[in-house]
Parts: sequence; structure tokens; C-alpha cells
Amino acid sequence: MASKVLIVGDGDAGTIMANKLRFHTDIKDVEITVVGNSKEHYFKPDGVHISFSMIDYKRSVKPTEFLFNYGVNYVRDEVTRIDVADKTVSTKSGRNLDYDYLIIATGDRFTPEDIPGYETDAKHFYDLPHALELQKEIKSFKGGKIVIGQASIPIMCPPAPYEFTFLLEEYLNFHGLKDKTEIHYIYPLNRVFTIPNVSDFVAKRMEERGIITHTLFNVESVDPKNKKIQSLEGESINYDLLVLIPPHRGQKVITDSGLADDSGYIDVDKYKLNYKDYDNVFAIGDATNLPVSKAGATAHFQSMYLSNRIASETSGNIYNELYEGDVACTTVTGYEKGVTLYFNYNKPPKAKFDSKLDYFLKWQSADTFFSSMVRGVA
Amino acid sequence: MDVKPDRVIDARGSYCPGPLMELIKAYKQAKVGEIISVYSTDAGTKKDAPAWISKSGQELVGVFDRNGYYEIVMKKVK
Repeated sequence: MASKVLIVGDGDAGTIMANKLRFHTDIKDVEITVVGNSKEHYFKPDGVHISFSMIDYKRSVKPTEFLFNYGVNYVRDEVTRIDVADKTVSTKSGRNLDYDYLIIATGDRFTPEDIPGYETDAKHFYDLPHALELQKEIKSFKGGKIVIGQASIPIMCPPAPYEFTFLLEEYLNFHGLKDKTEIHYIYPLNRVFTIPNVSDFVAKRMEERGIITHTLFNVESVDPKNKKIQSLEGESINYDLLVLIPPHRGQKVITDSGLADDSGYIDVDKYKLNYKDYDNVFAIGDATNLPVSKAGATAHFQSMYLSNRIASETSGNIYNELYEGDVACTTVTGYEKGVTLYFNYNKPPKAKFDSKLDYFLKWQSADTFFSSMVRGVA
Repeated sequence: MDVKPDRVIDARGSYCPGPLMELIKAYKQAKVGEIISVYSTDAGTKKDAPAWISKSGQELVGVFDRNGYYEIVMKKVK
């Protein structure tokens, strides 16, 4: 009888995982089902470019159900409960799905409600509706004070706030607005990025471009009436335009199912990705509290590891490899400039120079993603 | 150290900025006057946590090298 693999979540992590596992296993041996409720799959890294009208958003969106390879069953439904003791996943429409292997890839969610005043005035580019709203704001911007940053840690795609900042500076220069604008960049730690090596690189670029930085700035509230942002540390900054990445937490279903830490994330073994003592329950992507970036690039490497492991185990072999925290991502550092970072648990990234080639790698990444990566080919 | 913490956060095994974020979370929940202690195996916490405590105007009670981990102790004063 075929082993049943159930993947909860149809975002980057769930889709890549399903398609990779399909490549590595025979339909007779492994039945793969994905359950999720997305109609469209949005390539989130394009949000930065969409904000500056640099690409047409239509290239960044594909219908979810067409992204699964032949032999992957897709169930469009909302998961309401995961019971790992009973090996059952329940859905809103009343389905009860069982499994031999469960992979939780539910991602995370925005919680703007955690910051008083946020929803009235703050803008961001982390989903398509907000990126399009920000696009309008930027098009009509005539100069003033822009504050950019993230409300708290962790967030998806940690480099995105600095990518946005660098592109904004180029945009203002190009449109003759730089002299009429102050750019302020805020960050929760006592540097401008989590990883010290990359932080030094980014801080140097920011200084060269006249971007004013405020570190150890954990956002406590937004005052839309007075156009002011307040930090937990007692600092406040006025703004004309506020671009603030909202706080994130894990999905509610993870908390409701008793699988979450107090931020809603799943605690998994950092080398094997399995949940607690369950050797058939795993979590990947943004749903975990692993000490790696929350990014599609992370989910990609985790899916490579886990698909190989499950393929090996379901065919009766022993798999001794470990996931070592690998992530590789290309980030924008300006117009026609980018940098590729590769790192894992033991090797921090080295950001030494930015190049045009890296920028074009990033520019092409939606096409690469939809044609090969999400299909499990790359 | 003879001060007894009101809250202890065991963030050992968690990497930067995890321990600092846990400390900030505990600070938000604590009342003025409470003493919070964070355990960390990440060397960066030794620098990051005192920097945050100082910037936010709280009191750094001490940074202690324990057996294989650090303990950073703060008092919420406002």
C-alpha cells in the first residue's frame, strides 16, 4: 500500500515540497496530497519592485492549482485542526484527512493589530494589495520625510526593508526629489540588519547615500493624527510617509492545535525538521521557529532535504543526511545592483560587493521561480 | 548575584536576535520594579541585551558568565 504524505499549506514551502517529492517518488509508492485555500500564488519578493512600478504585478501571480505537478492531489480547503496524536487533519468543510507523514507548511501571518495606530497610516509591500497601494503613494509623493523599517523581529524576507530603502533612494534621485526628501531607516537591533557581517555592508551603503539610521527602535505605536512613530525605547520620529513591515506571528491553526510556541511558531529539530518526538511530523518554511531566514529560499533548501529523506524512508532505506540551515538569496542594493548571500547554521554570509549580474538574477527570479523552482526542478 | 529575578527567560540554544527579542517580550509583560533574567548561549546577546537595556533607560543589574552560558539581568525601572 502506498504511503500517504499530507502537506498542509499551499504557499512556497508546501508547493515546492510536494513537487520535489513527486519527482523523487513513484506514484505507486507514495500518495501526495496538499491541502490549502489559496486561489493565487503570489511571488512575494516582487513586492519591492511593484511598489516602484518597475514590473507589472501580473507576472508575479499564478493560479495556485496549476502549480502542482502531475500526481500531486490538491484539496482546496481551510485546515481548522491538526491532531498529531490522532494522525488527523480536519478542515472547514468537514473533511478528516489522515496520513503516514505530515508536513506542516502553513507559513505565518501579519498581525498589524499588535501596533496601535498601525492600520490607519502605515503602508507596506508584503502582499499584493498593499504593494499596489504603496505604488500609488510613491507615484504621488512630492518630497518630505519617509520612515522605513520593520515593527519587530521576525519578518519574512529579512533583507526586503533595506532593498526597498535602496531602491527608494535611487527612485528619488531619478525623479529629482532626493533634495526634498529625508529617508529614515529604523531597525529593532543595535545595527541595521540581524547578521553583523551583512549589517556592516548595508550600513556603509546607507551612509554613502545619506540615509539616516535609527537602531534599537522597536515600534510601540503609530500616531496617525500627529504623523509620529513611537519606539518602546522612548524615541519618536515624525513622518510624511511611513513604510512599516507589520509584526508577524505563526498561523492561528497552529496555536489552536497546541503545536505553537508563544509567537505561534512550531519548534522543530533544527537538523531533522521533525516536530518533537514525532518521526513522521515535520514543519518547514515560515511556520517554524528555526534560527534561519523566513523566506522562500529557506523553504526551497528545506524541501530538498525533506523530499530526499521521505523518498528514502518510504523506499525502505535509511537516510542519514541532516539539514544544516542552508539559505541562498539574492537581494537588491540599488538600481542594477544586487548581492547574493549564501549561509547556513555554521557559515555566516559574506557580503563584500554588489554587482549587476546579481541584480539581474533577482530581476528574473519570478520567472525562474514559477518555471522551475516551484515545480521542484531546481 | 544575590538578587532574585521575578522572571527568568531560558533562551539557551536560541540564536541572535532570539534572546534579545525574548527579553523585550518579557519586559513588555513585566511591571515596574520587576527583575528579569535572560540565559543565552549566543555570544552576541552579551553585547546586544545591555545595549537595549541602556537605550530603553532600564537598569542593567549585571552580565554574568555561567557554566557554558551567559546570564543578563535587568530591572524594569520605568
